[in-house]
Parts: sequence; structure tokens; C-alpha cells
Amino acid sequence: MTEAEGVRSSTEGGISAAPDIAVRHRFEQLALPHLDRLFRLAVRLTGTVQDAEDLVQETYVKALRAFAALRESEAVGAWLRQILTRLVFDRHRTEPREMLVGDLEELDRFSLYDLVWDEDPLPYSDNLHGDFLAQFDDEEVRRALLALPEAYRVPLVLLYAEELSYREMAEMLEVPLGTIMSRLHRGRKILERELWECAKRRGLVRSWDR
Amino acid sequence: MTPLTCDQVMKQFFAYLDRALSGEPLDQIEEHLEECLSCCDKLAFSRTVDAFVKARVPEGKVPEGLESRVRQALERAVGRE
Repeated sequence: MTEAEGVRSSTEGGISAAPDIAVRHRFEQLALPHLDRLFRLAVRLTGTVQDAEDLVQETYVKALRAFAALRESEAVGAWLRQILTRLVFDRHRTEPREMLVGDLEELDRFSLYDLVWDEDPLPYSDNLHGDFLAQFDDEEVRRALLALPEAYRVPLVLLYAEELSYREMAEMLEVPLGTIMSRLHRGRKILERELWECAKRRGLVRSWDR
Repeated sequence: MTPLTCDQVMKQFFAYLDRALSGEPLDQIEEHLEECLSCCDKLAFSRTVDAFVKARVPEGKVPEGLESRVRQALERAVGRE
């Protein structure tokens, strides 16, 4: 049984009766040692220290309320990461950000590699694609990543920063493996498109649309 | 085993990159890549983009006093119930 499987049952409908002080102390003892790692994950998912702190607090409060249902106290770290990640991942269900993705078929056809090749923005480069990327500053790349709808950004951050496998992500987010596969595929396409749009805004490439 | 077209490879491109394929789908893509320089170049570029973005995922230092603020939030949560 994986860590995610071990904690799954305890996050499903796990709102229990009001936790008393002894339960809170026991919870703090088990859960607070994971604070730094949780915070780092929260920054990666939200992009700002303030949003990360709000998310971490929300996670701990939610976890305390569900603490009685946690069956394996040694899995508390994975359980907290799952609660935190789900808080972000599930936001897209109430916000219309999914709309920003646009036409999926068009998105699937998008290729930054081909566009850079066709546009040839750096005619004297012998490493065209590498030099194209090198023109972006760190903040632009972070903004492109944070512009992704949560449904795509969360799996990508889990892949890049937590190095989770597709199966581990599917268990953590409680979605089918095929959903993870398509979100990671399209998430990268949207990211490539964001980088291309950024290059156009910066005048790195000609700005007509293809 | 039916040879894949470039478009078919593209559909599973990132799953291949993430080592999420096995068995026949993996063999088919590897067979295609042995013959197709263009797909190999695209794959190398996607690996570069991945490493480029991965190195720029937001990072932040844990703010001072976070643990005590979390403890206060938990205390308030218990108090409210």
C-alpha cells in the first residue's frame, strides 16, 4: 500500500466532532514537524509567501478537524500534503479558469519548437531553441507557470518539484491516471503557449498570430 | 507492431518524457525515435523546457513566526467549535 492509499480513507468526508485541547496537542505534536516542507510546497503551488501561509493555515485547520479519522499517524506528512494539494487543485471546480485554456484541439497542435524554428528569431544562433529560452528572465517563467489553471499547474508542480509519478499523483488528487496524463500533456502545451505570448509581448518575435 | 506516425508520437510525447509508458506503447515510441530525427529534436527541446521551468518553480523561505501563527489558527479553530 502506498502512502497516498494509506491516507486516502481519512480525507474522505473526514469532518469529525469538535477537537478538544488534548486532541489539538496530539495533532500539533504529529503535524507541526511537517510545517517547513508543507510551506515550501505551498509556495510552489501558489507563487507567493502570503498565499502560501494562508494555504498552510487552512490546511492545518482542515486537518485538525479531520484528525480523528486519520488511521495511520506515521503517514501524517503525506496526508497533510494531500489536503494542501487538494485545496488548490479543487479550486478550479468553483472558478471558471478552465475557460482560459481555449480550444483543446488547437492547443494540442501547438508546438513551441515548430514556431521557434519557423520564426527563427535569432538568425545567427547555432543553438536556436536554447538561445530562445535563455532570453526569458526567471520571473517571466514563474509568471507563465502561475498563469496555468490549477487543474494543469498542480500536476506540473507535483512533477517538477515533488517528483511524483503519474500513479502517485492520481492517488493524491483522486483522479484517473489518464486525467493526469492529459493534464501534464496539455499543461506543458499551455506553458509553451504562454512563453510564446510572452516572447511576442517582449518583441522577441514578430507578433502576428499563426 | 504498427509503426507510429509523428502525430501519434506527439500524443504520448510527455508521458514518454516522464517515463510513464511501458510495454508496447513504449516500444513503439522508441522504434519511431530510432528513425525520426525531427521527433528526437522535439523531445530534446521539451526536456530542455522542462529543466528550464523546473529550475524556476517558485521558492520561498519559511517566514519567521509561522509555527506560532499556525498554532494560533488551530487554537481559534478549536475555540469556535
